[in-house]
Amino acid sequence: MKCEHIAELLPDYLQGRLSAEQHHNVEAHLEQCADCSEEVVIWRKLSLLPVDQPDPASRARFEAMLQAYKAGRSNQPEGGTEWRKRASVWSWNVFHWLRSPLGAAAWGAALLAIGVFAGLRLAGPKPPSLDLAAMQSELASMKQLVVLSMLQQQSASARLEGVTWSTRDQQLDPQVLSALLHTLRYDASVDVRLAALDALSRHGRQPQVHKAILDSLQQQQSPLVQVALIDLLLEWRDPDAAQRLQALQQAPNLNPTVRQRVEWARSKLN
Amino acid sequence: MTLAPDEDLMLQVRDGAGETLGVLFDRYQTPLFNFYSKLTGDRTLSEDLVQEVFLRILKYRQSYRPGTPFRAWVYQIARNARIDHFRKFPPQTALEPEMLPPVLPTDSAQEQQEVELLQRALQQLPEEKREILLLCRFQELKYEEIAVLLGCELNTVRTRIHRALQDLRKAFHQLAHGTMLKKAEAAAAESIPPRGGRHEV
Ligand SMILES: [Zn+2]
Repeated sequence: MKCEHIAELLPDYLQGRLSAEQHHNVEAHLEQCADCSEEVVIWRKLSLLPVDQPDPASRARFEAMLQAYKAGRSNQPEGGTEWRKRASVWSWNVFHWLRSPLGAAAWGAALLAIGVFAGLRLAGPKPPSLDLAAMQSELASMKQLVVLSMLQQQSASARLEGVTWSTRDQQLDPQVLSALLHTLRYDASVDVRLAALDALSRHGRQPQVHKAILDSLQQQQSPLVQVALIDLLLEWRDPDAAQRLQALQQAPNLNPTVRQRVEWARSKLN
Repeated sequence: MTLAPDEDLMLQVRDGAGETLGVLFDRYQTPLFNFYSKLTGDRTLSEDLVQEVFLRILKYRQSYRPGTPFRAWVYQIARNARIDHFRKFPPQTALEPEMLPPVLPTDSAQEQQEVELLQRALQQLPEEKREILLLCRFQELKYEEIAVLLGCELNTVRTRIHRALQDLRKAFHQLAHGTMLKKAEAAAAESIPPRGGRHEV
């Protein structure tokens, strides 16, 4: 037997799908052909490649996606009755979430996404084969929805994950931007606030983001975040830095460490 | 319940049991993640794409027909998700060896080196060849399922697998040869006494 003949049989040989006779023929060839037998060796070696483990946080992200999706579905005016019935069982906090201003905005995005989806489906019965193109905009908004949903979670680690996830996109969606600014100002966890600052500062080249971040200095209550903001002020060489620092210095009950930092920053400006 | 076949679970998801999708997520996130990470070498992108696959499963659950093997169905979605992604964001950099996951220490140093070489060889293959090897070797898809997935004849699948394997063997060989040369050079360099004496660094 020649290599060309073996080539036809080899893939089935590798899967153990040959008849006894063919199997025997292939083995006989392999014993005397280095190239072909090496292919078999390579095939076997492929099983040695290590299995990459996904980030443990991806389960939480999946849950958030599921929740955001359900939240959108359960408010869909028509269709999906079964999903609506189950919606009450899912969790109360979807509805809690939808009552919040952010939730309402996210719900709007979800309805928009579902509208696009419904429109596509109305265009004609879908064949069972999966033509999945042209869904990008919908998916993008669903992704924003997930970020918004995560920033509303009870657990700080889930919110932190939401902040982290928001930084994956080059462009900051306006809704995500305002959610991150809200997080920067009011989140109960300092870690989450700092992460939000980190995420936002990556978009500091956009003038409105730049301004919004620095404006938050005046209302910031966490000393750690205040210090980080002061450092950012210097780093960005903000034209209003002197004014902003002076205003902060006059704030009542300023933390001594922060006060020191303000003084240090003002000396750097001069 | 957790031992139920994928197909039964998917039918439950189709009929409204969204939470059942979690079981399928637990079963498939690692294989899908590996499909993407070994194909693209990009962990972050791979995680995003896995999320997208599950979102699409939710969206398209009504199109799931009883009797369709779930594994084949989900890889159809996975392929399309990646194709759509690269249509939108054409890849800018070729795969860098640095992006590859570290090889875990194994029993023998030689085996570890071989795995490393094999990984690099795999990354040198054209994408469609890498993909078909991943599909049949790691994702355990039957040739018939791959034929449907790629939209080609069963015999074409066999031919393509063989060619991919051939290329992989050659790439592996070249890399192994290169490594041996480097080792020989290093050994030769070691044996030449440096001028002016060795410096402790
Ligand atoms: Zn041969």
